[in-house]
Amino acid sequence: MAGAVVAEEAGVAAAGAERMKTFADKVGLGWRADLAAGIFSHLDRIDLLEVIADDFFEAPRRDIRALKTLSSQVSVVLHGVGMGLASSVPVENKRLEKMARLVEQVRPQFWSEHLAFVRGGGIEIGHLAAPPRTADTMEGAAENLSRAAIQVGSKPNMENIATLIDPPGSTLSECAWISGILASSDCDLLLDLHNVYANGLNHGYDPRAFLRQIPAARFGAIHIAGGKLISAPDGRQRLLDDHLHDVPDPVFELLEEAAALSPNPLTVILERDGAYPSMDCLLAQMNLARQALARGRARGAVAEEVLV
Amino acid sequence: MSARAFEAFLTRIYVDAAARARFKANPRAEARRAGLSYEECAALEDTDWVGLEMAARSFARKRRIKRQSDSHVSYRGLLYRLFTRCLALFRRGQT
Repeated sequence: MAGAVVAEEAGVAAAGAERMKTFADKVGLGWRADLAAGIFSHLDRIDLLEVIADDFFEAPRRDIRALKTLSSQVSVVLHGVGMGLASSVPVENKRLEKMARLVEQVRPQFWSEHLAFVRGGGIEIGHLAAPPRTADTMEGAAENLSRAAIQVGSKPNMENIATLIDPPGSTLSECAWISGILASSDCDLLLDLHNVYANGLNHGYDPRAFLRQIPAARFGAIHIAGGKLISAPDGRQRLLDDHLHDVPDPVFELLEEAAALSPNPLTVILERDGAYPSMDCLLAQMNLARQALARGRARGAVAEEVLV
Repeated sequence: MSARAFEAFLTRIYVDAAARARFKANPRAEARRAGLSYEECAALEDTDWVGLEMAARSFARKRRIKRQSDSHVSYRGLLYRLFTRCLALFRRGQT
């Protein structure tokens, strides 16, 4: 009996892996200078690299040349962090111009930014903040994304962010707000699963239900990462998305769910911003991501067969 | 215009500890002082106070890290420029 179960599981895994190939799913890693040596010695196991675009906006020519050389060896995607596109304030032209220039130089597979605002009234927040989820910020984001698409020459994938605070002044749910922006801008989602997990934990919703409410056809790419629980002044705990820890199991479970739901190829990127483990450990997490994708694709196939 | 004023107000209470303290003490008065509408002032009374403090701390930490990183980068840049200037002078001396 146990043998039959193992054989069935192996069959499902093989079918899932086959469907991953059909979908051309990819698993990559966030480029960090500290990881350079490990990345270059394992390029055969890394499908693509995500580069922080802002690090190269003011970079000397030799750094741009190095980035172009890197992009000639492995697929590269560019990830912006400083535009603040989800805002009722129009994005500054100079920020779009910098991204446009870098996209022209590097020719990435795609570029991405965040559903966040990062400044207001001339003051920099210093990080990604969730704007009030209202019709005004939804409209502002759609206008900014339309300008970004024209100026850069392609639409960005937009990432949902983690937030420790339930954004004050919100009149819409996170899910309705994100779905509304994606629909009006025709942009795809860079679905950060650790952010979904963290917000679910911090603000009391079910991350799986959240995934099912976002149109799965909009899942363009996926981030996975880890964080840590921090104590709140009221004695409870909230999850901080610090990218300094290994990817927790619930995030891999959400990845499986996303793969089961998505009808499109998925690009999964592991983010790590410090407290770097060995390269073997990062590669192992990327393998876990591939396994989760395979399980999800196999489930998706079963669901399709049932429908037929 | 009001949506922009609202974002500017949020930015201030995320970044400025004194403004945040005034806001916590009297949300409606601080929001009115920033020119927010009656509805916006009312909405701010439901603020997630615990989350506000945690987010503000997290943003402050990020700004601190960025400042350190920027000064490190500019120090490296200065060293690089100094090195290339010396190299150029050395080469000029040789020719």
